[in-house]
Parts: sequence; structure tokens; C-alpha cells
Amino acid sequence: MTLAYSFKSAFQSLCREKWINILSMFTVASSLLIITLTAFFLYNVELVASHLPDRFSLVAYLNDNISQEEVQGIVDTLKKRDDIAGLKYISKDDAIKELKQTLKDARYILEGLNENPLSSSIEIRLKRDFVTSASAKRISEEIKKVSGIDDVYYGEKVAEAIHLLKKSLQNMSIIIFITISTGVVFVAYSTVKILFYRRKEEIEIIKLLGATKGFIRMPFLIEGGTIGFFGGILGIIGALLFYFAITYRLSIVIPLLKTLVFPLEILILLPVTGISLGIVGSVIALGRLKL
Amino acid sequence: MIAFQNVSKYYEHQGVLKNITFSIQKGEMAFLTGPSGAGKSTLLKLMYLAEWPDEGDIVIGDFHLQSLKPPQIPHLRRNIGVVFQDFKLINNLTVFDNIAMALRIKGVSEKEIKNLVSEALKKVHLRHLSDSYPRSLSGGEQQRVVIARAIVTGPLVLLADEPTGNLDPNTSIDIIKLFEEINLQGTTILIATHNRELFRNTRRRVLKLDGGNLIGEEIG
Repeated sequence: MTLAYSFKSAFQSLCREKWINILSMFTVASSLLIITLTAFFLYNVELVASHLPDRFSLVAYLNDNISQEEVQGIVDTLKKRDDIAGLKYISKDDAIKELKQTLKDARYILEGLNENPLSSSIEIRLKRDFVTSASAKRISEEIKKVSGIDDVYYGEKVAEAIHLLKKSLQNMSIIIFITISTGVVFVAYSTVKILFYRRKEEIEIIKLLGATKGFIRMPFLIEGGTIGFFGGILGIIGALLFYFAITYRLSIVIPLLKTLVFPLEILILLPVTGISLGIVGSVIALGRLKL
Repeated sequence: MIAFQNVSKYYEHQGVLKNITFSIQKGEMAFLTGPSGAGKSTLLKLMYLAEWPDEGDIVIGDFHLQSLKPPQIPHLRRNIGVVFQDFKLINNLTVFDNIAMALRIKGVSEKEIKNLVSEALKKVHLRHLSDSYPRSLSGGEQQRVVIARAIVTGPLVLLADEPTGNLDPNTSIDIIKLFEEINLQGTTILIATHNRELFRNTRRRVLKLDGGNLIGEEIG
């Protein structure tokens, strides 16, 4: 029964103080929209970055005059490792062919060479989790010890860049989420505090009639949660407008935008996030008020 | 029902109430009188703990206020009906909702609230004003609403602080008659007033307060 009264009281207050509540809802909506658009941006960048480890590989150069049996032995040894995703043997002939193809119009560079100077090699693709600078270095040192392998090249800078890019994106998303969430909490905090002071006289009266702290606080918590919820709903509307603008308007002018992926399921989280942050703001505000 | 034992209250080292001792029996209706500033309102406020006594002990029913913990204060207040001098009505709630508030705080069901409020309004002869807002009522009507709110929960004790302070003599007599009716149903009542006309010929006990001292008692 008390809960029913709390909801009724919160609803009445939402209607009575409609302008301050609407303003707060729009502020929460804008903040949640920023979080959504950041998540959308990061999701797409992450999607691109997630394919980069597939393109990363080590190259193990083999000794000259190595026999086919020895090559097979090296391949078998490497295949036993659980950090390697795949191997590709490139013979001396294949290597020079590939180089010629790469140079195309500048083939004259190779003219005058009497013999093939390139070594045969094995291209090694690592499993995703091992595409870090430290792992690549460790693996390359271990591989170098295998008999028949002359040297191992690993793109230290590439591995480091991929690793850094992923870490930076994660950190950036955490910082943005925390900053904007704090903003939403502050909006709910300020709104509830203002509403509380506007009803101070009424609260003093119901305290004298025997109201508990819980009875006094509950409508404000509901109000904070409701502001967050409707902020979330407005955020969804904003995000959908953005999505339709990208899909049906801007992509006609900029076709590259067609490749963007918009995970619509994250929109469901907006009202839930709004409610949670709204209640947290209200709890902090009410906790700091003398009841 | 009410017992004060050597109760004192100080404001900035100045005694507003000094060593007050008295008791009021269950079902009794008594008056507390004295000039303005005698300490009448402070004495009432000590009973519902809007103010805390600095010395002595107060007992209301089973509540020993000296040993009461802060979370128990709402429970005490729900057992005391107070008719405030300045009414303390919530202006954006109707008469019905103002009275119902005391019951909602107690967690009474809405169905029961409807019956109890209706009964309380009948007692104060205000059933026709149930949907009105306090600001549209006269002083006498507002006072009746406050009385209805104070009695609707069936309190152990009813305290009234200058309940006729803003009313004309005829309305004041009506209000005292109303208290008499409520007292007949067994509610213990203490009325603080500076108006001697209110208790003249009532044959009720009158406690006399002056300068924070209880200087005696008489029968009105």
C-alpha cells in the first residue's frame, strides 16, 4: 500500500514540477545518446581492429640448401605448438615470384641478378590472443632455436600497434562511459535535491505525523528512476533518428557509411541504464539530506 | 498516560521549562494555560519529540522518551495526534488526502482509509468539503481538518496547541465541544491555550505555566 502511495506521489510530483522534470529528462537523454554514439563508433572501430590480428604473421627464414624432408620436419614441429593458428611454406622460387609481382613496373631492379638471393621461409599466423608484442617476441625466440631456421622476423611495431589500439579503445570507452554516467548521476542528484527543497515544508509535516525515512525517500527514488527511464526512451528515439539519417540519407552521399554496423540491441540497455543512474543520483542526494 | 518527571528544557542556557512534574490519566481531558512565552508550545513539542528534553523523563503510554532511539520516533508520533497552532496542512492536497496522509504513513489499506477518513470528516462535520483544498477553507474549517487528521488514526493522546488561536469566539466554543465529544470516546487530550474562556466551567483540570515553571493547577 505504501508503495502504491509512493508511486502516486512521485507521479503527482512529476506532473506538478513538469518543466524541471522534462528538462532533466532531455539532459539525461542527451548524455545517454552520447554514450550510445560512442559505443557505436567504438563498436565499428573494434570490428575493423578485430580483423587486424588475422593479417599479422611471423616469417621464419630457413637455412640455404635445406632439404624438403627437413622443411617437413620443421613444419611438423611448429604445428605441435598451441599458439600457432596456421603455417604457409614459401619456397625460394615462390618468394622471387611474389617479389616480382610486387615490383611490377620496377622489375628492372632485379635485372642482373644471376641467382635467387631470397631464402625459403615459413609464414606463421599466430592465434588472436598471442598477437601482442611480448608474445610475438617470445614465440619468435623459441622458433629461432628450431634446427634449420636461420632467422625469424616478427613485426614488433605492428603487434605493438594492434595491442595499443585495442587497449586505447577499451580505455577510451571506459573513460567516456564513466564521465557521462557521472553526468547523468549528477543531473538526477540535482533534480531530486531541488524537488526535495521545493517540498521541504510538506516533508516537515509528514515527519511530524510519523513518516519514516523510507516513506519520505521512496517517492524521490521513484522520481529519479522515472527521469532516468524517460531519458533512456528519449535517448532511443535520438539514436534511431541518427541511425535512419545515416542509413537512408547520408549513405546516399557518402557510400562508405553503408559499411557501418549499428547494433540496435544495445538500445534496450538505455532505459535500464537511465533508471539505474537516476536511482543512484537520487540515493546520493537523499543520503546527503538531513531527514 | 502522560507523565513528566523533573523535565527541563534550555535554549542557549536559558530555562524555557524548569523542573516540570505532572501526570495526566488515561481518558482525561486537561488544559495547559499561561501567558505567551510561558513554555506551553515547547512542553507539547517535547511530547512528540519536535524538541528534546535536556533533563528529566517523559512517559507517554508505553514510550519512555528518554530511552527512545531515533528510528522509534516515527512510531511514537504515529500514536500521538497533534493539532498544530499553524495547522500544518499540505496545500496541494485535498482535505481528504491531508487526513488520509496520517493513515498512509501507518500503512493502512486504501479501502480502510476511505472509511476512516469519511468517519473522521463526519465527526468534524466537514464531509461536504472532502475534495476542497485547504486554501479555500475558513480558519475554523481548516482547524477542523487538522483535528480530523489528528484523530483519524485513533491516537493514544491528542495534543492541541492553541487550537482556537485564530478563530472567533463562537467557532472556538464549537471546537472545544468537538474535543469534548472526542474525549467521550476515550481519547486522552491535553489542550494548550492562553484563552481562559475556553476552560471556564468545563470542570476540567487546568495546569498553569508561567515563565517555564508549573505554578499550580485548578479546576476550570
